[in-house]
Amino acid sequence: MANGVREKWTSKLGVILAVAGSAIGLGNFLRFPVQAVRNGGGAFIIPYLVALLLLGIPLMWIEWTVGRYGGAFGHSTAPGMFHSLWRNRYIKYFGLIGIFGPIVIFIYYTYVESWTLAYAVFSFIGTYARATDETAMAGFLKSYQGLDASGHFSGLGVAYLFFLITFAVNCWVVFRGITKGIEWLCKWAMPALFVIAVILAVRVLTLRPPNPDWTVGKGLGYMWNPNFSALKDARVWLAAAGQIFFTLSVGIGVILTYASYLSRRDDVALSGLSAASTNELAEVILGGTIVIPAAFIFFGPDQMTGIAKGGAFNLSFVTMPLIFERIPMGAVFGGLWFLLLFLAGVTSSISLAQPAVSFLTDELGITKRKAAAVFAVVTFLLCQPAIFFLGNGVLDELDFWGGTFCLVLFATIETILFGWVFGIDKAWSELHYGADITIPRIYRYIIKYVTPLFLLVILGVWLYQEWVGVILMRKVAAAQRPYVLGTRVLLVAILVGLAIALKISWKKRRDVWNRTEAQP
Amino acid sequence: MTPGGWIMLVCSWAAILALNVFCLYKLFTEKPAARITEKDGQE
Repeated sequence: MANGVREKWTSKLGVILAVAGSAIGLGNFLRFPVQAVRNGGGAFIIPYLVALLLLGIPLMWIEWTVGRYGGAFGHSTAPGMFHSLWRNRYIKYFGLIGIFGPIVIFIYYTYVESWTLAYAVFSFIGTYARATDETAMAGFLKSYQGLDASGHFSGLGVAYLFFLITFAVNCWVVFRGITKGIEWLCKWAMPALFVIAVILAVRVLTLRPPNPDWTVGKGLGYMWNPNFSALKDARVWLAAAGQIFFTLSVGIGVILTYASYLSRRDDVALSGLSAASTNELAEVILGGTIVIPAAFIFFGPDQMTGIAKGGAFNLSFVTMPLIFERIPMGAVFGGLWFLLLFLAGVTSSISLAQPAVSFLTDELGITKRKAAAVFAVVTFLLCQPAIFFLGNGVLDELDFWGGTFCLVLFATIETILFGWVFGIDKAWSELHYGADITIPRIYRYIIKYVTPLFLLVILGVWLYQEWVGVILMRKVAAAQRPYVLGTRVLLVAILVGLAIALKISWKKRRDVWNRTEAQP
Repeated sequence: MTPGGWIMLVCSWAAILALNVFCLYKLFTEKPAARITEKDGQE
């Protein structure tokens, strides 16, 4: 807001597509099907939908509402928004999690995103065509990541080149701003993503299996046949809640920032619900139709257990290329698959960049373009450990703190702040201000009681089961501990840097912080 | 796929599609002017 005028979305569809683009990421097409197979198959959808109704959709509404409310006071990130909700001198520091988390995710997510761009190119030009079995394809991936110098690639050069391209694309979009960058990209990338996903889903459903017993129906059955006994296991319910968190991009802070660029009278109730439902369409219907049935058709039930245990990355970069090698026009379909993942990735990563850029702009008074440049330089340096120390646990450590722990912690704080400190009466009225739909009254009680309780249970169970082990690095190999420790020092440095910036803003821009009148 | 699998698939797809149709319908339907005025009046 250096020039005093905040940007606004130019259309309702634009902001919905931007939020849906932020939510629809690699996890929709990879993580969800793997989670379903591991946690009761079709039965997983029951705790998943319960978590969507009690956790996902309420959090969507909370973040859209808090974002628009904070935006009216000239704030586009959580510190200022929390301060608008509660005039307490310390609460703004808790809001820093809403900038810290996205930065941490951005510094490893961009690198992973660059693999999808590289593999799209590799597929179109046939680079990995000589890898014809799982071992060879896994070796190709390790060689690409610089973890095996004896493979196809002699070093990290190609991977680094694709990282630079991906990073530049992200920075360019953010540099162009909300309307000319993010809204413009999402308006064409999201429809393109859906078209590609439908093409791939249709291709999978019409595949001819090499073994007559490994039919498409049985492939869908592998994913959807319910094992109701799994529902007795608390871990399945926690897995479903975790999946809802990851998939909707709630608890990160990006929706707050996007919603802050709404006008005061813009709807948030229908927009939030629309973004969530678009994400579910991509995840359950399209994501659930592509990878697992395709893998079943070509690898059969015996190998599926190992494939599902191998995790989402293996499924994407090892199993899927092998499948596309075995079908007519596989290079094209393989290229489309990785292009789909790249589009899903880039619409998410630009949203991760925006809170930090908006913080620099709105709270420190730096111009939009300078803020984007500062962000680019700082995060470029921060990305390097994830690239060069990939095999030493750095990426997992960043993912744990930025992409898991901070999400739950931040969501718990904002939910309590919204429903209890700001007060459910004001919160409910704010949510309905300018609303295009009337939200069922039961959600008043869900937002006040159920959602925070759900979050406190998740946080409590995690603290009880994992906290000590994580802090003491019990599951980390001895050789990786110096790298993990180094990553933690880096994370603390980021957090301290943000806290200092916030303190400076608090001292120098009291006029913005003390604003009590909401702007239109 | 077992009948149970079909039920889970069809029910979840139907629920999500219905939610999407509802949202699209509401998004592309004009907001009643009376309600906007009423809200503005409250403001």
